[in-house]
Amino acid sequence: MKLNHSQKKKVSLFIPCTVDLVLPAIGESTAALVRHLGCTPVYHREQTCCGLMAFNSGFRQQARRLARHFIEVFENDEVIVSPSGSCVAMVKQRYPELFEDQPDWQRRALALAPRVFELSQFIVDHLGIRDLGGACNAKVAFHESCSTLNALGIGPQPKALISAVRGASLVYFKGADVCCGFGGTFSNAFPDISTALVTQKVNAYIESQADLLVMCDPGCLLNIQGFLHRRHPERRALHLAEFLAESIREESKT
Amino acid sequence: MKLTTRQFKQTARAELNDARTQKFLQILPQRLSALRQAAYQSFTDADATHRFGHAIREEVIQRLPELLEDFEKNALANGAQIFWARDSAAANHYIASLAKAKGARYVTKGKSMVTEELGLNEALALEGIEAWETDLGEFIAQLLGKPPFHIVGPAINIAVEQIRDIFLQKGVLREPTLDPVALGKAARQFLRSKFRDLQMGITGVNMAVAATGTVINVENEGNIRLNKSSPRTLVCVMSLEKVVPTLTDALHMLRVLCRSATGQKAGAYLSFDSGPRRPGEIDGPEELHIVILDNGRSAMYADPHTREALRCIRCGACLNTCPVYGQVGGYPYGWAYSGPMGQVLTPALQGLTDTGDLVRACTLCHRCKIICPAGIDHPSLLLYYRHQDVQKNPRLGGRGAALGEWLGHTLFSLAGTRYGYWRLFTKLARLAANRQRRGDWIHGISAYTQGWFQSRDLPALPEKSFHERWEESKKAEDKR
Repeated sequence: MKLNHSQKKKVSLFIPCTVDLVLPAIGESTAALVRHLGCTPVYHREQTCCGLMAFNSGFRQQARRLARHFIEVFENDEVIVSPSGSCVAMVKQRYPELFEDQPDWQRRALALAPRVFELSQFIVDHLGIRDLGGACNAKVAFHESCSTLNALGIGPQPKALISAVRGASLVYFKGADVCCGFGGTFSNAFPDISTALVTQKVNAYIESQADLLVMCDPGCLLNIQGFLHRRHPERRALHLAEFLAESIREESKT
Repeated sequence: MKLTTRQFKQTARAELNDARTQKFLQILPQRLSALRQAAYQSFTDADATHRFGHAIREEVIQRLPELLEDFEKNALANGAQIFWARDSAAANHYIASLAKAKGARYVTKGKSMVTEELGLNEALALEGIEAWETDLGEFIAQLLGKPPFHIVGPAINIAVEQIRDIFLQKGVLREPTLDPVALGKAARQFLRSKFRDLQMGITGVNMAVAATGTVINVENEGNIRLNKSSPRTLVCVMSLEKVVPTLTDALHMLRVLCRSATGQKAGAYLSFDSGPRRPGEIDGPEELHIVILDNGRSAMYADPHTREALRCIRCGACLNTCPVYGQVGGYPYGWAYSGPMGQVLTPALQGLTDTGDLVRACTLCHRCKIICPAGIDHPSLLLYYRHQDVQKNPRLGGRGAALGEWLGHTLFSLAGTRYGYWRLFTKLARLAANRQRRGDWIHGISAYTQGWFQSRDLPALPEKSFHERWEESKKAEDKR
């Protein structure tokens, strides 16, 4: 299932700032998956933050500053892949809105947009691969991150990748497509509502009797994992990239 | 209606701790969502039907002035009288004066969000005119002095014991009972007496057809039809965006409205009224007055961003699918319109001064946008309002940013434009955060982040960022 050498393509890694700083294992797993698929991961060291947090908080001037930097860093790449649905949605869908009064930058944003992919979208839709050859004996609950599912329309792709892992089975997870209550600064500004939502999410995970909770967005992961650590430290949540990379390592051991 | 949106967080907290609210939120939104989902299956092509509805509402908001002029012309030709109300005060004054002129001591009302917006009942009371809500849920909410909990079920969260007690207290019920059917019958008998010899009835409007001058109402209880057919004078109040170009368009919007609101293919009663009673007709009002309410909508129309919210047809589908509404219910939104519908309408009509929390009480999950039969992009609008608030937009009453927040975002964005700055920033951030670490986790950082740490921990920031790990492995590779 690896691409043969002649097809070897360069894949530019778009590493969200949360991944860079807080959850670097997700970035390393993403790079490992790209290599596993026979592509060459490229990492631009100048990359910083896509501007999502500033934009969502209403600080568009500051978001534009970060967005211009992002465009300058990435606009010459053919394929850009990120393990974060919300950051990808920011670049693909919000940049054009952000530059509605700056036609030159808007043009550059629109030219960049089709080359940016969420990780599972890149693997399944762009490369046409579903089975990565991993193995993991686990019942898996999949949390549908809002940006990934509702903004980008990516739902079947990550589930196809999980289902193809030998030994892994997706379980029924009640309210899988309901928000976990993260919402960036929402989680800090509206802690009561946010806590009620993450409690509901985690209770459904426990009821599902799954061994693992997997998702495509580092934001949701920080929220769910942080809550689990406080209330249910024995329970595990992880990013799709980590799950897939681990299952491939597992398979290669046997 | 009094705006209490400023207390969003306090009311939300109270509702999160209210057992009854929580019980009904476990049932009502999911049930209505499931009904809508099932009802949409009856369309041959649900997607195309959905998009056609968006196109109709798109046409409405782009041709609004022209459509309203057409509607006025045709309604006048049908014999209706039109009053253009600039604001709530003008609308209330017109209706109260009319009631007095007609010698009405009381009026009856059909459930309508626009008269909630006007605060019409209170305004009429000041003039000594009683207003009786005739929708059962709205009647209960009125007796209790509560705002609507849900646009479709205004009193769905009220305990049956509480309904019994208030009915006994207000003389609606003689013998105490908890039988819902008996309670419904008591309310019906009580209200029927109001419909007899009725001078004036007041309803809202679901749609106003420009091409024919027709006003359309949708309901399930029959009370709106009684309101429209019993009185000598009928007043229909519409917010100006309720206009649609043609009857064909109205019929399409009815198909999606009824399915979106209650999962019905059509409401039990659909009333189409073109003008008052004509010579030779046996029923209908002698006079029909149509109040077209602006109340800030012209300004909303003038801004191409806020104009988008005028697409709304008040079906309530967004409430049922919203995760935040699903936790806190309708009260925190603090005005006539709750849920995502309220979050896009209230800031434009009432300004941002009191609605700063309202436009931020959203995780941007996009469920409302996906379900909306009118094609509103709620997340984009909420992001626009947040920006206008930070920008101190004078027309919208934006408040400007807190200095600390502005400084944080500005420094962060400046750091994010240069490689060296960013590396320095990430090192400092790590140092600062990790000062609070206990083992591999952080349980609290500062007062500013206490919301997060109320229920969550944060992993301690790793010694090496992804960037540093990558650079090291690159160096190691180069040596080899």
